[in-house]
Amino acid sequence: MATSTAPAPVLASPARRSRTLLFDVVMRLVKDPFVVICVLYLAALIVVAIFPSTFAPLSYEETNFPDKLAPPMSYATTPKLEGFRYIMGADRLGRDIFSRLIYGTRVSIAVAFLGAGISFAIGLTYGLVAGYSPAKVDNMMMRIVDIIYAYPTLILIILLQVFLTSLAQQPAESLGALQTLLVTLDTRSGGLFFVFVAIGAVSWLNMARLTRGQTLHYREQEFVQAAELVGANNRRIMWRHLLPNIIGTCIVAETLAIPAYIYTEAFLSFIGLGVQPPMPSWGSMIADGYGALRSAPHIIFFPALALSLTMLAFNFLGDAIRDAMDPKLRDR
Amino acid sequence: MRRNAPWYLLAVLLVALVAAGCATAPAPAAPGDAGAAAPAPAGDVVTMRLATVSEPSTLDPNLAEDYFSITPIEQMFLGLTNINNETSEIEPELAESWTISEDGTVWTFNLRQDVTWSDGNPVTAKDIEYSAKRAVMPETASPYAYVLYSIKNAAAINQTNIPTDTYDIDSLGVKAIDDYTVEFTLEAPAAYFESISSMWTLRPVPSWAIEQFGDAWTEPENIVVNGPYKLVEWRPGEKLIYEKNPGYIKADEVQIDRVEVSLITDQFTEVALYESGDLDVAGEGAASLPAEEVARILADPTLSAELHQGPRASTTYVGFTMTKAPFDDVLVRKAFSAAIDRETMVRDVVGSGVPATQFAPPGIFGAPDPEVGIGYDPEQAKAWLAEAGYPDGAGFPVVTYRYFANSLEEALAQALQAMWKETLNVDVQIEAQEFPVFLAGTNPDVPVEEMPEMWRLGWGADYPDENNWVYEVFHCTDSQNRPRAACTEADEKAKQASIETDPEVRKQLYRDVEQLMFGEEVRVAPYYHRGYTILAKPYVQRAYPTFAPVNWDTWRIEQ
Repeated sequence: MATSTAPAPVLASPARRSRTLLFDVVMRLVKDPFVVICVLYLAALIVVAIFPSTFAPLSYEETNFPDKLAPPMSYATTPKLEGFRYIMGADRLGRDIFSRLIYGTRVSIAVAFLGAGISFAIGLTYGLVAGYSPAKVDNMMMRIVDIIYAYPTLILIILLQVFLTSLAQQPAESLGALQTLLVTLDTRSGGLFFVFVAIGAVSWLNMARLTRGQTLHYREQEFVQAAELVGANNRRIMWRHLLPNIIGTCIVAETLAIPAYIYTEAFLSFIGLGVQPPMPSWGSMIADGYGALRSAPHIIFFPALALSLTMLAFNFLGDAIRDAMDPKLRDR
Repeated sequence: MRRNAPWYLLAVLLVALVAAGCATAPAPAAPGDAGAAAPAPAGDVVTMRLATVSEPSTLDPNLAEDYFSITPIEQMFLGLTNINNETSEIEPELAESWTISEDGTVWTFNLRQDVTWSDGNPVTAKDIEYSAKRAVMPETASPYAYVLYSIKNAAAINQTNIPTDTYDIDSLGVKAIDDYTVEFTLEAPAAYFESISSMWTLRPVPSWAIEQFGDAWTEPENIVVNGPYKLVEWRPGEKLIYEKNPGYIKADEVQIDRVEVSLITDQFTEVALYESGDLDVAGEGAASLPAEEVARILADPTLSAELHQGPRASTTYVGFTMTKAPFDDVLVRKAFSAAIDRETMVRDVVGSGVPATQFAPPGIFGAPDPEVGIGYDPEQAKAWLAEAGYPDGAGFPVVTYRYFANSLEEALAQALQAMWKETLNVDVQIEAQEFPVFLAGTNPDVPVEEMPEMWRLGWGADYPDENNWVYEVFHCTDSQNRPRAACTEADEKAKQASIETDPEVRKQLYRDVEQLMFGEEVRVAPYYHRGYTILAKPYVQRAYPTFAPVNWDTWRIEQ
């Protein structure tokens, strides 16, 4: 079996112009204006998420009760905000929706990076090791994945939250180091700690399965046998020979998985298991607005729009990267 | 083609999103036409369609404790006396007249002799005696037995530690002298016993049906009633259907033949159904409408004419766990109470009701007028917190405020959180729970470490007397005492007022108790008296009682 369908960068065909795979992919991506828009949009979100106070006109918790339910583009009525315009209106407690939307970006971007980070750090390594190990070890490792996969995420989060609440209510002296750390983490992250734990707990499973499958495919190929023959150790084979071949597929899969993390956070916040008020997240803002759909539709409209656009952008970007990396579609 | 697909998709999605956003705005224009339509007459049967946010938890008068159960019980069972929906005065119902002995401890009620149960049996004094005994017996576990504690030996019997201890039910101070005379002997004179006699807990129940069917006696096929309406069908999770009881003594005066009460847990849906003409009254099921909807209704000329607003004898407060730091310090409690901007709360967050600084609302006998207690005063609040050792909130621990999950309570909790942050610069975590879990979680037997520092509760009048408020809710030993207050002068005075007979002396005592409990000790911070907001079609003629359960038999539908 030839390696023609899966050219590793290290074995790039000399017949082609000397370009790296990355360069190829990037060149093909920037030619598509739609991809450029998606990338710019996501880059803007990241900047906004890092410096929300620069972009938000007001604080996310500032309440101006007389301006409750103010429609978009209306002026504030309180004297201290004279001349201020609620671009996207105000919510039930008179908080500026535009400012809250900007602060809410932090949460969505944080879970996107967290999910992707854990997925790569744990999932990729785990799958690679499982796939390259003897069948017995592989079998055991993958059954562990199956077990975690079968556990209902929602129940896991609720249990963890009940556990933490009872911990937090005990006097600080009686807590051990780990317990104190958990309570501190949850307080510092505005109640998001368990959303992170939940997304972290499940995000790497698919990646582990994918990586393991790919590893099984490549480990039987000639370039791996050649490496074994010249005496490369296991670690070198996994990181230098197998990983470069499968990383592309993994990147594509991950880009397509990110919307699911963002959605999971929004869903958890919507049902009240996510951020601790008054900290906003898009999901909790949608929950605030859904009751008032008929009387004040702007409360739900803007966070829902932001959520939809972000998920679409990640999906389209993932799609485009997959196409760009697919050798069968090359040079079209 | 491959590259065009996403553009096309995005465009379609954007259009769909914008359309969805816009479509919601013009929709409210429709109700104008729906409002004019009269309910569909089914033959000659006059039907009224109501909604409730929760099904009754029981239809047994001796066991009921919540609004959703009391309302249907009021329609099906007659009391010794009734509270008039228009005037809130006590009027005769089963009892034609009653006399009080000179020392005020023996009350004798003479019953009407023409009232029958829906199975033909006469309603007699024996049924009342049976009901009173059943409500007080510890085996019945009636959550409202304490309202009968003014009856001789009721408290002792009800608090018997069964099965280890025994009691003599015949020692209870209630006795059927003959078929139509019943006599109550009280522990001490109690001027408010007239009000107690109107309560559902003391209404006659059919002993033979209870003995035959047990807990199932309130099922539609078994239930025996003596009031204007009878439950004919209960479709769980969907609706309850009541029909006029033809054997009711004043059946001729009841105009509405059939009442359908649909279970609609989402109040926004309820308003939508009202606007489309599928309900005749909206908001009745929870006695109020969401603030967002009230804002929209007030802006609509047709709907605003159908909106009815007014006070209800009900108060919402922030409870403090007085045995848990930092709320064991009265200065901290004072500061948190004074930091609540009650005017803003009522006007902008709740959308109905009146600001409160004391517990009992106006209209309750003994409620101080003008109100006593602590009002909104940000400067004073800051000073109190500084005096307690937390200048500008420095060093104040993160505390928890717990409430029960619903959209109004969530808005109130976030508003309180923002007010405490702005005035006192303290961080409060808010935490929602389902109502039954929430209620059990603030019970007096919960270990103090598991209690939240602050919690939301409210109280609605059972009968129009301060005794039902400060004494039965906050007395340090004779009530649940959820704030876990130690006994003080206030408790003594509340106890004293419950047995005092001179109305003026009682009023003065209650003024002192209110000021002590909510102005000095700050056991809780009352912040608003609730109001009702109800939408009713113009063809519905009805009363809007301030606290008594509604009487459907007095309602009219004018075609």
